[in-house]
Amino acid sequence: MRTTELPAAEAIRPRTVVVAALLATGAAFMVFAALVSLYVQQRQQAAALGEEWFPSGTVELGPAGMMMMTLALSIVTVQWAVQAARAEDRPHGFIALGVTLMFGAAVINQFWFVYQDTAFAIDGGRAELLFYAVTGSFIAMLIVAMAMLTVTTIRSLLGPFGRDLAHAVQASALFWHMCVLCYFLVWYVVFITK
Amino acid sequence: MTLTESPVAESEAAADADGAAAPVSPAETLGAPRGLAQPFMTNDAAQVGRLFVVASLLMGLGKAVIGVLLSLGRTDAAAPEDLFGGLNAYFRMWTLYRVSFVLLVVMPLLLGLALAVVPAQVGAGNVAFPRAALASFWSWLIGAVIIVASVFAGGGWGALDGVTGNESDAMALTLLGTGMVIVALLIGAIVVATTVISLRQTGMSLLDVPPFSWSMLVTAVVWLFSLPVAIANIVVIYADLRGRSAIAFGRPESPDIWLQLDWLVEQPAVYAMAVPVLGIVFSAVGKAVDARSSRPEAILVVVGLFGLLAIGGWSQDYFTAPQDLRDGLVYVAFGLAAVVPVMATAGGVGELVMRGSKTRDRLLSTPMLGAGAALKLLGAATLVGALRVIEPLDLLETSATWAVFHGVVAAGLIAGVAALATWSQLLLGPIQQRLAVGAIVLLGAGGGLLVLADLISGFIADDPDLMALALDGNAALNGVVLIGSLLVAAGLAAALLGAVSALRHGATAGSEAP
Repeated sequence: MRTTELPAAEAIRPRTVVVAALLATGAAFMVFAALVSLYVQQRQQAAALGEEWFPSGTVELGPAGMMMMTLALSIVTVQWAVQAARAEDRPHGFIALGVTLMFGAAVINQFWFVYQDTAFAIDGGRAELLFYAVTGSFIAMLIVAMAMLTVTTIRSLLGPFGRDLAHAVQASALFWHMCVLCYFLVWYVVFITK
Repeated sequence: MTLTESPVAESEAAADADGAAAPVSPAETLGAPRGLAQPFMTNDAAQVGRLFVVASLLMGLGKAVIGVLLSLGRTDAAAPEDLFGGLNAYFRMWTLYRVSFVLLVVMPLLLGLALAVVPAQVGAGNVAFPRAALASFWSWLIGAVIIVASVFAGGGWGALDGVTGNESDAMALTLLGTGMVIVALLIGAIVVATTVISLRQTGMSLLDVPPFSWSMLVTAVVWLFSLPVAIANIVVIYADLRGRSAIAFGRPESPDIWLQLDWLVEQPAVYAMAVPVLGIVFSAVGKAVDARSSRPEAILVVVGLFGLLAIGGWSQDYFTAPQDLRDGLVYVAFGLAAVVPVMATAGGVGELVMRGSKTRDRLLSTPMLGAGAALKLLGAATLVGALRVIEPLDLLETSATWAVFHGVVAAGLIAGVAALATWSQLLLGPIQQRLAVGAIVLLGAGGGLLVLADLISGFIADDPDLMALALDGNAALNGVVLIGSLLVAAGLAAALLGAVSALRHGATAGSEAP
């Protein structure tokens, strides 16, 4: 067999996983942006008709602010995990992953509290329905981000380190950052400007 | 550079006219799955592309038959309600026909072509994530089956005349299937886009990418901007529909669900499936006359501009008064501007022909005929789209909407056939010229008749009715629509026959170098 008949060697491909993650993250953000746009549009329509959106006092700002601070901290810890994967630093990587996942779980727990506290019925009206649609979609995305981060970081840290695995952690972190951005929208649109 | 890595110059010499290199796929050299396991386990994106092409053509034939029955319902031969067994059943088929041609036929057809052709064009051995491409195909197919089965079980995207509890459940299933199909197409689009961005041959800049690959990159970006908006719509509708009396978004007894999603099949979003048509046209003509454009960067700009004008998530008018949005400057500007890139493509094709070899065989080759027919129909669709947004003509909520739709769909199908002829060795194998030309002629004639009849109906309709229930005013036009639908069905049958016979021939002949 001549050498020209052999398949070409694997070329060095810069950040293939990160590029794909960037595109997927963009698509996921578009889903959320469309949901928030719909929420805002419907709220404006209700306001124009003089209708009350949420009964006053039902949606508290305290838990929502706490979630925002928790997720803001998670930005640092998720980058810590990325840095640890790059530096092949197992102890720091596992600590960063654990803390980030704990922050994620804390936010889900806090949302459970918010749902109990507001006690909205999903068929109570447009406001309640959209409240659950927007926040529920965010929780679903956060769970996906937590799963991605767990799988990629553990694979990266338990197996032999490689450039692609560190990029996979970076890709998961990208999705995580998008989730934080989405929550920022929820925080501002749903909780602050309610 | 490694010993086995070909330098760019060598690779370009080995490439065909539009830059389609012929790398050896890893799946061809390593132990690839054989027999029945192949469609489920293949690691070769070209195989996945073939699956997409054949399955989407099969879907297309089924939907074209529904189109013929819907057209028959517009004639005096049978009332639509009687033909389908009730008003709701007619509405279900009417909506299935429209959604299917976008999500189950043209988009997957073009995605399948891209999965097979793009890696070769950019000099990658395979796509970036071949397993994701395979997952994309199977989740698309399962979603498509869920959509069709649930629609026939009484589901669909809303109703006109009351529903039972079971029908409401079936509608939820239809929404689930629609979401699944959209996610699958997005995964495929991400795979293709990542391949173009990250796996290009060393030395090939983004500006050197062949027109079809560039058009697929633009298409992927447009889909990533548009299709997630439909998922958001589906999330809200589904949350409202399930488990209790729906409030506003998911009322099963009304056409509300359809009205929240119909923007997907109307301009400008409907152009999103036509972006690759421009890439196929440039590539097919370039290869047919053996010429390259003197201004390749202009091609990239033209295709990019059309993609920009095809972003359509913003154009849904269910949540606002329709006149607020659709009489607005942006909607009108998008409608008018969409003509420009298609006309520029015609100019670019003219330049290619002038520069290339103008022998009779080349000018009358199948890719050339296909490219010409696809471009003409797309041009007609965008022209009707431009007329539609001119307010004094009063065409906005008339059947002119479906003239645009039919033009784009037919252009997409013809471009698909032209691509099968252009890259036959990369795709299915050598396609029979008679079947390919027959498919192009039938689809072109059928699509043309549908565009014409829908446009004239739009002009003469006193009482605009988008669902064509009251289009009994002009028997001649209804007859034309029926003939057009029959021709499209026959064209799709010819394309499917050509694809299957090419696949069988390719399978017996073995894998040849393109």
